[in-house]
Amino acid sequence: MSPAAVLRSEWIKIRTLRGTAWSLLAVFVLTTGFAVAGNAATGDSEADSPGFDALFSVFLGLNLGQIAAISFGTMAMSSEYQGGAIRASLTAVPRRGLFYAAKLANVAGPALATGLVTTFVSFLGGSAFLGEAALGLGDTEALRACLGGAVYLALMALFAAGLTAVLRSGLAVLSILIPFILVVSLVLGETSGSVADYLPDRAGQQVLYADPPGELAPLAGLGVTALWTAAAVLAGWFSLRRRDA
Amino acid sequence: MRGGTVVTMTAIDVKDLTKVYGQVRAVDRLTFCVRPGQVTGFLGPNGAGKSTTMRLVLGLDRPTSGTATIGGRPFTRLEEPLRHVGALLDARAPHGSRTARGHLLALAASNRIPARRVEEVLELTGIAGAASRRVRTFSLGMRQRLGIAAALLGDPRVLLLDEPSNGLDPEGIIWIRELLRRLAREGRTVLVSSHLMGETASFADHLIILGRGRLLADTPTKDFIAARVKPRVRVRTTEPARLREVLLRHGHTPVESDGGRLLIDGVEIDAIGPLAAREGIVLLELAAEEATLEQAYLDLTAAVAEFTARAPQEA
Repeated sequence: MSPAAVLRSEWIKIRTLRGTAWSLLAVFVLTTGFAVAGNAATGDSEADSPGFDALFSVFLGLNLGQIAAISFGTMAMSSEYQGGAIRASLTAVPRRGLFYAAKLANVAGPALATGLVTTFVSFLGGSAFLGEAALGLGDTEALRACLGGAVYLALMALFAAGLTAVLRSGLAVLSILIPFILVVSLVLGETSGSVADYLPDRAGQQVLYADPPGELAPLAGLGVTALWTAAAVLAGWFSLRRRDA
Repeated sequence: MRGGTVVTMTAIDVKDLTKVYGQVRAVDRLTFCVRPGQVTGFLGPNGAGKSTTMRLVLGLDRPTSGTATIGGRPFTRLEEPLRHVGALLDARAPHGSRTARGHLLALAASNRIPARRVEEVLELTGIAGAASRRVRTFSLGMRQRLGIAAALLGDPRVLLLDEPSNGLDPEGIIWIRELLRRLAREGRTVLVSSHLMGETASFADHLIILGRGRLLADTPTKDFIAARVKPRVRVRTTEPARLREVLLRHGHTPVESDGGRLLIDGVEIDAIGPLAAREGIVLLELAAEEATLEQAYLDLTAAVAEFTARAPQEA
């Protein structure tokens, strides 16, 4: 089988699903919307308060944007588990490793591309209101945050896709991940220096700060999220490889 | 020996195939061969193991033991399998928010089948007019046609279709029957499952019948009919009581039917006519009545059901 052909097939599947484009658009709109609206409202008035971080304040919307990224990853994979789609797919591409890899590449690619546009627009749009306190793209932390934030969104989408391959249900994955991110992480959010720092979302978000509050360094944090994602993707692979379709 | 080579290239070979789900033996030491150039009907009541066998042949489920090959190779080893084997397993397969064309384009791309072939199969299955509609809006019959379109995408030499006439209107059923016969005439291997004997016998040249995961029959359709469909004679006379007595004396068991007729199972007309003549009984009507094919099939599958009912520990 030609890997390029299988990649193209999976790309057509992503493109022809209605919800995928909407969820990617939501990543952009939610994240940049918060960056612009939030910072336009407060301006640089918060700049002197102790909790202020000139980078994270423009990436605040990413907390919502990532839910859309998770929905995208979930949707891309769960569409195979509605009806008997997976059987038609595996009858066309019986090499399950190739099928799975092509699917994940088509989750990661669009998520990363959307992520890059989103983080750069958020940064530039949000920083415009911060006056003196704003960082520029020339600052290492700022560039790291823009690139790292995009990688973070792609990792969360992959994390959700892997989990969906394990649970074979988009609904199950979303009803675990969304409350987890909205509630658990926010509740534990204030208590840094604990295990909470190693949760997939908290760890990866270190990269979005000029002065990270957690135990982990920015790139180390992103690495921890990558490990979570690798674990979910691998679990998904074992599930797909072993189970009857 | 050219013909012989063609046979082995496209035959479906199932050997000692067994699939156990927990306590249930869904497929139980199944061995059969599906040959090209004819339509093979795959029959059995619901739950007999037809769909499971098809999934095992397609490498979707893993057998507990035994093998299933197509042209001597496991399905999962085929390069670009849609070009060799087409399958319809489940009409619910296409995602509801995709268009029919989108669904077929994605499948075609994976096996490097050109996009114009998508338009061809859409035409062939009569859904070209609905190609841009979302599958969610399709009736079961249209979904079934889309599933058949997907199976035909790669112009495959081997076709496995699970209940393809399910949900089709009478016109659709005639269409699929003609299509299957044509595909077989072109030398393809065609395996079609159904739980309806009457319908299947009308187009299948060969029958493979399952019951509770086991092979009950593997025979040409005409042999099945000859061996299983018992003759029955219908007779009407002016002296029913005397004819009855004569028949009983000769070891027949007449059963009374409507309008004073007698039905006699397991005999031909040639046996009853001369008998009545010798006794001087006037016959008003003498006709052969074929017990239905469906009945023969039900008798066959009921025997397995009865066996399992008597031995529940087997289940």
